[in-house]
Amino acid sequence: MRALPVLVAGLLAAALVAAYVAFGGTSYEPTQVADPCAPRPARETDGTGERIEVVLLAAADETACALGVSREELVLALRSVDELDELADKEGRSRDELEDALRDGLERAVDEAEQEGLIGETTANALGFAAARLPLSLLLSVLRGASSFLD
Amino acid sequence: MLVGLGIALALADSSVVTLALPDILRRFDVEIPEVAWVLTSYNLVLAFAAVPAAYVARRRPVPVFVLGTLVFAAASLACGLAPSFGVLVGARCGQAVGGALLVCAALDLLTEIDGSDARAVRTWATAGVLGAALGPAAGGILTETLGWESIFLVQAPLALVTVAAAWRLRARPLVVPAGRPNVPANLALLLVSGALTAALFLLVLLLVDGWRISAAAAGVIVSVMPAAAIATSAVAPRVGSTLVRAAAGALLIAGGLAALGVLPGSDWRWTIVPQVFVGAGLGLTLSALTERALEGRSPQAVHGGWTIAARHAGVVVGLLLLTPIFTTALDRNEDRALRAGAAAVLDSDIPPLEKLGVAQDVLAVVRNADREVPDVRQAFADRPDDEQYRTLEERLVDELDRAVTAAFSRPFLLGALLALAALVPIAVAGRSRRVSV
Repeated sequence: MRALPVLVAGLLAAALVAAYVAFGGTSYEPTQVADPCAPRPARETDGTGERIEVVLLAAADETACALGVSREELVLALRSVDELDELADKEGRSRDELEDALRDGLERAVDEAEQEGLIGETTANALGFAAARLPLSLLLSVLRGASSFLD
Repeated sequence: MLVGLGIALALADSSVVTLALPDILRRFDVEIPEVAWVLTSYNLVLAFAAVPAAYVARRRPVPVFVLGTLVFAAASLACGLAPSFGVLVGARCGQAVGGALLVCAALDLLTEIDGSDARAVRTWATAGVLGAALGPAAGGILTETLGWESIFLVQAPLALVTVAAAWRLRARPLVVPAGRPNVPANLALLLVSGALTAALFLLVLLLVDGWRISAAAAGVIVSVMPAAAIATSAVAPRVGSTLVRAAAGALLIAGGLAALGVLPGSDWRWTIVPQVFVGAGLGLTLSALTERALEGRSPQAVHGGWTIAARHAGVVVGLLLLTPIFTTALDRNEDRALRAGAAAVLDSDIPPLEKLGVAQDVLAVVRNADREVPDVRQAFADRPDDEQYRTLEERLVDELDRAVTAAFSRPFLLGALLALAALVPIAVAGRSRRVSV
């Protein structure tokens, strides 16, 4: 009986932990990001801005799929050439490989969008030119501020 | 009572700055592992200085108490006026030396005042528990109302009041040889104190830095712990023997910390019941183990010094173990939350050509936080105040809150393991007692 307080304390402690686990206490998982190689559901678009967004996100998916990274990692690395270099290092690739994948992804996405009638010829030509010809740092600036460039 | 105030002040300093750490971190532009040294330095020096201070104190308790208090008061002023982080940490070491002298000498003074060793030990242990438990709440309220410097500036005059009280006392010097310390009881104190560090240090960090609650509000929230400790201390002697109280308290602390390690949501209300458990455990265990470590041993000041050394070594062990585990988990979870946050931005309803900018602004906030908990709201400071942005901001805050809360999980669970490990020396103390009987 002298050990009764120890028993009570042990039972109370176990009950508290069990209750917190039952309320979902061990279930932390970050929201899962989608596989960039899997097709995404088609979106309704309204206006040039949304159509360009669809093209750029499709380009990000194409590039991320080719590089074996998530679309989100790639988008975050588009902040600067340095960030892109960091991603290349992390994935064990050269900057040239990353740059080629980025340009190819953008060109493919632009071609597909033009074939589907999502964007017109002028926009497709402008994006295609940017993908093929602009230096990388300028291309990243265009991707970051595409509205002012295209509108 | 004034001597008790001196003890409570010195032992409150072990944790009093916990809620001020985010402000100190910003004031001196240091990172979490560095700012933890404001706590670590005090506890480390106190752990090393306590036993030598006790040997000095037993020869001339009153002058040593007065000297310790004056050193403590002067170093407190230096902390409050520190122009750099290095000076602050140096002054904290000075506070610890003064604190060691005053706390150890106080035990002999209390014996004179209370007229009995047992009563003196109970008063001494209770003052220590109250100081340690009340520290974070008092520090948080002072930080919010008057600034973190006030925590130290307020202590100087309070400490000097205790000098006036001690000056009139006469205590007999004790020069009998000191026996061996009670190793199991002191080891249990070390482990329990390490576990309590998780509650006193990490919980505050979670509330203030993780969930962005103000220091004053966090001070009120964490006052649940001292309230539970005080309530339990009042009934503790009726619970059972010192070892039964110690074991029951260690289990309650372990349960409370484990529950903090599996919080079901990022809301302060989930911390209340675990805090009651930790506070109740603290009220039962610390005083019981201190009484056990001093039971039948003489001179009291020296064995009291061993308990102070054990407690504060435990705090240091806790800080050194828990801080890197927490910062590593925070880095990992932030990366995962960042990817999830970027997905939320790309799939959101904000204007399409803003998405890349917002995602990258969020990334910049997280990168600039550099081992602190980032505040993603900064990325929305210059964005339009409409529903689309507010919805996205709330989603990102929730994503990061969950990641941060999960990052605290392992350190809390490690704290729970330390509390459970304390049951081993407590059991050994029980066996050795039966053998000796």
